[in-house]
Amino acid sequence: MVRKDIVSELRSRETVVSMFLFVVLAMVVFHYAFTVPGGGDLSFYTGGMLWVVFVFGALLGLNRSFAHEKDEGCLDGLLLCPVDRVTIFLAKMTANLIFLGLIQLLAVPVFALFFAAGRMAAHLPAFLALVVLADVGIAALGTLLATIAMHTRARDLLLPILFLPLVIPLLIAAASGTSAVLAGSAGSVSVLGRLAFLLVYDGVFLVLAYGTYDVAIGE
Amino acid sequence: MDREGDAALAEIRVEGLGKAFGRRDVLRDVSFTVARGGFLTLFGPNGAGKTTTLRLLATLLRPSSGSVAVAGHDLSDDPMPVRRAIGFISHNPLVYRDLTAQENLCFYADMYGVADPGRRIGDLLERVELSHRRYDVVSTFSKGMLQRLAIARALLHKPRVLLLDEPHSGLDPHAVDILDGLLDEVRAEHTFVMATHNLRQGLELADQVMILDAGRAVFAHSGRLAAADFAAIYREHVREGALV
Repeated sequence: MVRKDIVSELRSRETVVSMFLFVVLAMVVFHYAFTVPGGGDLSFYTGGMLWVVFVFGALLGLNRSFAHEKDEGCLDGLLLCPVDRVTIFLAKMTANLIFLGLIQLLAVPVFALFFAAGRMAAHLPAFLALVVLADVGIAALGTLLATIAMHTRARDLLLPILFLPLVIPLLIAAASGTSAVLAGSAGSVSVLGRLAFLLVYDGVFLVLAYGTYDVAIGE
Repeated sequence: MDREGDAALAEIRVEGLGKAFGRRDVLRDVSFTVARGGFLTLFGPNGAGKTTTLRLLATLLRPSSGSVAVAGHDLSDDPMPVRRAIGFISHNPLVYRDLTAQENLCFYADMYGVADPGRRIGDLLERVELSHRRYDVVSTFSKGMLQRLAIARALLHKPRVLLLDEPHSGLDPHAVDILDGLLDEVRAEHTFVMATHNLRQGLELADQVMILDAGRAVFAHSGRLAAADFAAIYREHVREGALV
């Protein structure tokens, strides 16, 4: 299923291109909006900027993640297959994770260039740990909610309404953790606390998806 | 044959099946059995419950009441073997338009765990006369070609039961001929349940018919029926809607 979603995306380029354009354009806007005459220190704000951009970029991809299944009626084909519903969730979540990771791989250098020149490389392991844990949370929550939203006519509207309030705790942890890392406190208690919070957040939504996905994707 | 003997040979056993969406009953107390190798055609006007019945048999809906067993497995307790035993063909081909015919069939072969998928896909594409378009993206296919690919998809895992939901819908006469030829070819290998409005296509292969109206089974008959006789029976039992 993951391979199918990737091949389909490589051919249509509907999701990744729009996600990437949004992320880069938002960073350019932030760069000019927050440039301080005399080059003031922006490290306190950069974590928030980065994760707002990633969360909204991810939302674009999540909105499209079931589009092929729903628009072409392939959801029935998928549900007819003798595979556990949780397997479908994990495959969809993995595909969403890959698309988000790919966007970040392309966007983080742009971010480093604008906002964190020199500081990111020094604290890369802590930054990557934050990104991986936050991405798993975004993909788990987003895939579950995208599945629920796809059954409604207003799915493009419903997904952000459901997703954004629930992603706020993750956004706060990832943003404050990233700001702390970029400010040079990579090994601090506050960053380790954020990482622990993200781990628990991921666990909660993975368990929730495991327990409810059969109903979420059902009738 | 007695009732217990019938049930033992039944490939599909449906008892008191009901389905409600919210407070609206769309299917009420429908019962039938289809023997292995049998062909049941469901007739009825729009909204009669034909598609709901097929979607319940295919595990795409959960029954509100009653029980369904397919290939000896109860649908509610044991849906996985039921899914393995079923091939589903509807007017929607259930294939991904961004993928090639080969990629679509490879995907479904993976999902069903088909042994030697390369050979099976090659054989099926040959059978549905799509070998020459094997590596073409499905979005370039005509409606008839899509429906032939849908047949290959449905037969891929050698299902014991084929469920057909108005499979002729939207096809031109040539594509209908190809589809009927294919169904005729695989007739002996499967048990069929087909929903249709089309009298000729519905009666041609069927050895069992049922008329649904407003969610209830209003007529059931085992054995072949002449088209003229069946049309009269249909008019007698169904309040609205005509057969084609």
